[in-house]
Amino acid sequence: MRAGVFAFAVSCALLASGCNSLPGKPAPGPEVPRPESILSPQVLFAQNCSGCHGTEGQHGPATPLASPVYQALVDDATLRRVISRGLPGSMMPAFAQSAGGELTDAQVDSIVRGIRAKWNKGDALKVANLPPYADDGKGDAKAGEQVYANNCANCHGPAGGKIGEAGSVLNPDFMTLMAPQTFRTTVIVGRPDLGMPDWRDQMDSPMTAQQVSDVVAFLMAQKPNAPAGRTQAPQATQGAAHQRALQPRISGGAR
Amino acid sequence: MPWYKQAYDWVERRVQLEGFVKESAEHPVPSKTASWWYVFGSASFVLLLLQIVTGILLALVYVPSAGSAWSSLQVLNHQLPLGWFLRGMHGWGSNFMVAVVLIHMCQVFLFGAYKFPRELTWILGVFLLLMTLGMAFTGQVLRFDQDAYWGLGIGASIMSRVPFIGRQLVEFMLGGPIIAGATLSRFFTLHVFVIPATMLAFASLHVWLVLKLGINEWPTPGRLVKRETYIQEYNELTHKDGVPFFSGAIWKDAMFSAGIVLAVAVCALLLGPIGPTGVPDPTIVQTVPKPDFFFLWIYSALAFLPPSIETPVMLIAPVIGIIVMLVLPFVAGLGEKSWYRRPVAVLLVVVLAAGFATLTHLGTYVPWSPQMDGWSADPVPVHFVDQTKPLERQGAIVFQQKQCRNCHQMGGLGGRRGPSLDDVATRLTEDQLVRQVTQGGGNMPAYGKTLSPAQVTALVAFLETLHPSNQPVAIDASRHVAETNNPAPKEPVEAIRP
Repeated sequence: MRAGVFAFAVSCALLASGCNSLPGKPAPGPEVPRPESILSPQVLFAQNCSGCHGTEGQHGPATPLASPVYQALVDDATLRRVISRGLPGSMMPAFAQSAGGELTDAQVDSIVRGIRAKWNKGDALKVANLPPYADDGKGDAKAGEQVYANNCANCHGPAGGKIGEAGSVLNPDFMTLMAPQTFRTTVIVGRPDLGMPDWRDQMDSPMTAQQVSDVVAFLMAQKPNAPAGRTQAPQATQGAAHQRALQPRISGGAR
Repeated sequence: MPWYKQAYDWVERRVQLEGFVKESAEHPVPSKTASWWYVFGSASFVLLLLQIVTGILLALVYVPSAGSAWSSLQVLNHQLPLGWFLRGMHGWGSNFMVAVVLIHMCQVFLFGAYKFPRELTWILGVFLLLMTLGMAFTGQVLRFDQDAYWGLGIGASIMSRVPFIGRQLVEFMLGGPIIAGATLSRFFTLHVFVIPATMLAFASLHVWLVLKLGINEWPTPGRLVKRETYIQEYNELTHKDGVPFFSGAIWKDAMFSAGIVLAVAVCALLLGPIGPTGVPDPTIVQTVPKPDFFFLWIYSALAFLPPSIETPVMLIAPVIGIIVMLVLPFVAGLGEKSWYRRPVAVLLVVVLAAGFATLTHLGTYVPWSPQMDGWSADPVPVHFVDQTKPLERQGAIVFQQKQCRNCHQMGGLGGRRGPSLDDVATRLTEDQLVRQVTQGGGNMPAYGKTLSPAQVTALVAFLETLHPSNQPVAIDASRHVAETNNPAPKEPVEAIRP
């Protein structure tokens, strides 16, 4: 009898002490939080950015955010603006609720802080001659053609010549999808994760800010007038535009 | 005489239940029915009582209002000591109850227990099964989370398909045209008052009939049920070869019921309460609502139905199913009870069980809904990015940005509504890809109007790279002929504006 009482007491004590560590006890907070209550930069980046920019900010199809050069190129305000409002003319969408996205301003701030904290190396890479983020609009397309020939053609192929190993950047469809800023950022930052050098690591010497503007002006001048950067072509031109896009395939001709 | 005996006698002289209880407890049952096969009915009743007790305790805290229901469950889960355990007991109790009731029904069917003279017992049982499912559904609604909200939406849209009175039915069910405060009050009333009271009444009558008509004897092949002789035969059997229910048979029922309650407690302790998932806010689209396990088979079945036969199947099949169950004892109420001589019955149970199990299993892992954040969350696999050219990389961005990923997997991530695209280039030629993207087809919407020509070109250029390195890309043989007859320039050339 006494043993039974003792066993009962022991099991009650065990149960009471174990209640807080039982596997069935729900973790703190709701099982599924409201989307706008998520403020962890890691979670927000994983949910909103990694699709295009890669889980680690590189090896994604879009701009490599983890690149120290990119981090030196942009400031917090720019990063916040691009995340909130998107990059017009490119496929970077606006994420702020005020611009039709789903993130609150606090969440955008959290992503900016997260990106900066993880990949910004401070002033160590604010190297001399880093061209500014924004274009000054003084690029000269004619001069840019020469810059292209000197710095880009080796991998991407000369203008009017054979397409290079790294693939065409003068392809009209490609040009249509690129915003001037995307070109500029890519020329400056390169794709270190994919083997494209940044603006310093060129054939003879680093590109100057003017050369960067020139080559971007040259590239933009190649852009076809066709429905550029529009997500939805107007009905009237849809058929014709499609026909043009599909023409070489349908006729079995060259690409 | 001790005081408690005096008190007992005082009450007994007035209510006079002793004789009845004693008679019921000691009534003889056929000795072979003191079997582990006969324990599911009593276990169902015990689970019903468990649900009532835990339900009353939950109702002390639960607030049946649209604004507070979800947060009152958070209070139970996080603030009250062992509140989560109570919710777990009630939730797992309902899962177990559905399962045990179904097993009980199969056993009764296979043992021919629904035959003469126990037809009414079976019919009450059918209603008890429907009410158990009704309790499960209304209970899921009371959780008032995202699953509950969308589950209600599906229930309402099924109702709305009833010809002529669909609209009225929906408004009756929801307490208005939309899911709102009145909906929750309505389901609370059903779950807490209407259905449980009816269930208790039906279950009591069900047990009463079992007492009056006797437990079904163990079926013996060749011993046929005849209207004229059955009752006499049964009485002879219980007198010749009977044991008193108490304590000849009851200990197995008690052991099994205790085991089931223990299993419910273990599930509650180890797996915890069920939900609530996110707040029931229809503006939150990042959700994959799913019903609780006992309705998963409906969820998969609805997803598999071709749209053309959806409405007839949804509205007619349940009615036919219920009618079949109700008329069963009148159509097959006599004759052979043993499963050895009823191959069709056995086959039916096996096929139905396998069908429900398969649909339920599919419901647990096949996500029929798109994964709403796939486009921005699931990275393009690195090995696909590393080898791409600039246009193809833009295509990968189009793929993500236009949310193809929400329905299509790559590298094991993304929605599973459509096929995985890891090797799509080996299955479709370039022209077929263009056609599929722009015109859709096979359940895929057409994207021709939402993509610019350049986006289609880039997207298809990217899709063309999606193939294992040891498998060639699908090509159109006729194009090869066309190119032989009308050769293209030997080298592709960088375009440049004149």
